[in-house]
Amino acid sequence: MRFVLLIILSLYYSVSFSDEKDTLHSFKLKNGMEVVVIENKRAPVIAQMIWYNFGSGIEKTGKSGLAHFMEHLMFKGTRKFPDNYYSNFISKIGGSENAFTSYDYTAYYQVFPKSELKMMMKMEADRMTNLTLTKENVEIEKRVILEERFQRIESDPSSKLDESMRSILFPNHYYGRPIIGWRHEIEGLSYEDVLSFYKENYKPNNAILVLSGDVDLEKAKKLSKKYFGKIRKGKQESKLEVTDPDLNTNIFVKMQHPTVKQPIWKKFYRTISYKSDIDNSIALDMGFKIVASGTSSLLYQNLVEDKKIFSVVGGYFQGLTKGEGNVYLYAISKEKKDSNEIDKIIMDEFKKIINEKLTSERFEIEKKKYFFDTIYKKDGVLNPAQIYGEALTVGLAFDDINKWQERLNNISLDDVKKALEKLYENKNYVIGELSN
Amino acid sequence: MRLTFFLFFFFFFFTSKNSEAIQFESLETKNGIKFWLIEDKTLPLVSLSFSFKGGSILDPINQDGVTNLMTSLLDEGTQNFNASEYRLFKRENGIKISFSTSKERIEGTFQVVKPRLQEGFYLLNESINKAKFPIKEIKKVKSQIEASIKIDNSDISTIASNKFNNFFFKNQLIGRNKKGNLKTLANISRDDILSIYKNSFIKDSLVIGISGDIDANLAKKYVDYVFGDLPSKKFKNPISTLKELNRGKEIIEMKTPQTTVIFGQKGLGRKDKQYFAARVINYVLGGGGFQSRLYKEIREANGLVYSIYSYLMPYEYAGVIIGGFQTRNQNVGKTIEKVKTEWNRIKNEGITKIELQNAKTYYKGSFSRNFTSTLSIASLLMIVQYYDLGEDYFNKRDLIIDNLKLNELNDLAKNLFDSENLFFMIVGEPKI
Repeated sequence: MRFVLLIILSLYYSVSFSDEKDTLHSFKLKNGMEVVVIENKRAPVIAQMIWYNFGSGIEKTGKSGLAHFMEHLMFKGTRKFPDNYYSNFISKIGGSENAFTSYDYTAYYQVFPKSELKMMMKMEADRMTNLTLTKENVEIEKRVILEERFQRIESDPSSKLDESMRSILFPNHYYGRPIIGWRHEIEGLSYEDVLSFYKENYKPNNAILVLSGDVDLEKAKKLSKKYFGKIRKGKQESKLEVTDPDLNTNIFVKMQHPTVKQPIWKKFYRTISYKSDIDNSIALDMGFKIVASGTSSLLYQNLVEDKKIFSVVGGYFQGLTKGEGNVYLYAISKEKKDSNEIDKIIMDEFKKIINEKLTSERFEIEKKKYFFDTIYKKDGVLNPAQIYGEALTVGLAFDDINKWQERLNNISLDDVKKALEKLYENKNYVIGELSN
Repeated sequence: MRLTFFLFFFFFFFTSKNSEAIQFESLETKNGIKFWLIEDKTLPLVSLSFSFKGGSILDPINQDGVTNLMTSLLDEGTQNFNASEYRLFKRENGIKISFSTSKERIEGTFQVVKPRLQEGFYLLNESINKAKFPIKEIKKVKSQIEASIKIDNSDISTIASNKFNNFFFKNQLIGRNKKGNLKTLANISRDDILSIYKNSFIKDSLVIGISGDIDANLAKKYVDYVFGDLPSKKFKNPISTLKELNRGKEIIEMKTPQTTVIFGQKGLGRKDKQYFAARVINYVLGGGGFQSRLYKEIREANGLVYSIYSYLMPYEYAGVIIGGFQTRNQNVGKTIEKVKTEWNRIKNEGITKIELQNAKTYYKGSFSRNFTSTLSIASLLMIVQYYDLGEDYFNKRDLIIDNLKLNELNDLAKNLFDSENLFFMIVGEPKI
């Protein structure tokens, strides 16, 4: 369940590696698998990430949770490396590993000493085709996943509210279905479901391999060809082209639960995405950061600092999606207020910001912040791999990422205001209220 | 996501081979501030990690939460910036500053891009030496902490963890919530905050690690600029011993489909000679992610939980071992029994030769992951000084690991781990 992580990452999301021609490479294997190499020799460590370009989005109706279920089962061993061998090996060499599933992708990663690259690639390639699953594996893991669903969602009223808001915001698209799956559908998933999902989808032409850290291009080429290159390609992932209708009613969702001690107000929008409109998405991201990101945002300044109506208000844009993007807004009111009233206060302020308070000085500050953030994002081995993997998997081109800074420089205050204006007029939203 | 918390809790560590090559400079400024530096020009940025001993354990009685409130106010108005100016300046200049309060220390991290070094240190100096604590901002931050306490009190796992602290430590100061509670928070005055501010930032209890694109001379200059004029005062650690800890179990009924269980017993302090040995034993028991016995037995073989873990919580001179899991109400009793069984197995049978070998290679191999970012390097330099592990720690760490003997470890396991001493905090509607 990637949701939480996405929130954290997207707060700081912006990509720019334009000055890295010498350290950044990409090539394709004959079977269609793409490989990205990001060299960084600070520490003798490599991060390997494999991004499959499908997530919960390709699940058939009635089989929600299958992609995430499969992710868990990918750790169950192959004929050559049975049972726990893979995780045991990583642990023995002092590596770390994990995996995550989203609506649009499934990714696995390991961080390890550079001397182990060969073995790590060999094992990652091996589990793309040679997984050996037993019915018992599947049944036990299903119990684990149900516990996960209970831990993340059923025991948490706020998550239940989010789940229900999304299902209304996306009545047609798979973004309305929880990544982890509906409880009753998880319970119905079978060994056969899992096996056919694996055989159909885990193919090299559906994957992007990203190697980041102390690795050189020639070695990466040789090893990826040797281990991944021999895997036969499968049928191309069929693209689901479903879109959602406009929402023509005002929708308020209320989650009342006795354990809730602090009421919270939320608003989710359907918006443009980087894939559908990259320049306006960058403008929206910048603008919305000025409006709602953190304690230096204009909403915070006006409604928390000056008018003292809320103790917290904020939000962010998440546009790295194959389908529509999202804008999230949240607020905690100091005094009890109904959802409509909170919405009106925020939207009136939003309008005022667009018309009066968003100055060119403030815009220039945000541009600088964007630029400096790109330096921070390179500080580490996993982060750059994450940025490339995610952007490429949702359908951006390599060049889109590399020319990010250039695009950013071309964006004017006017573009930003227009993007915000559009959001202001956007009626495709759902408002949620968490209370007791 | 298989185990989200790993992303956040797993630090980055360094390999044995390369640890021999770690070259840090141990420096001292004109004003007598000592710090460690690794100059690294990979990227045009500088990271600094620092810590002051003290923390929420020093909150006066009925002022629970005052240290945390004070650190939350360090960017809310200083001599030359009001709260919003401060934050805009930070944003504009690519500066990151954060402060946090834990039980026995106040920690800070500071990062700045090379072209704005001067602006960065200027701002850090404002927080450390010139914070103003305006009444208006105190009110605002109090209301934010209140909201966050209420959110915590709506979340079953945070409730369990707070209740665990109350019951397990039997009302010792260390069991208090660092955020305080709604009542104590209301009690705290501006003078209380000022007094904590003056007494917290003391030269003698400060340690600093720096990494990034900065040389020794410049680093010394800036360290003195920010920290050089702090007062000097001997520091006495209040957590030198832990009094009696609770055993058995407590249940708090809450309507929920899944019960949260947090458990613990006495552990070892970081300065205990056997600390690393205890860490290795716990790695086998419940610390080693997908490899630990608790994970394999309770999650992998029986599907009872999504996550289960145990970890050592070392304070300087005393420590505890803490673990936790969440499971459906009907499985609580069964899962607790399995935890106890594993606890007894470690005590009575110890760990195997192979488990020890795997743990050794893990700890040696994983150390290199510490050195992948400037911030993780700076934090490592800071923490090694904080625990007084010595300037030769990076060289002797492998030796410490190599010298761990199976029989000594298993003697320690026999003495340390005891299911009779475990205390279980159970929150939910458990069937036991």
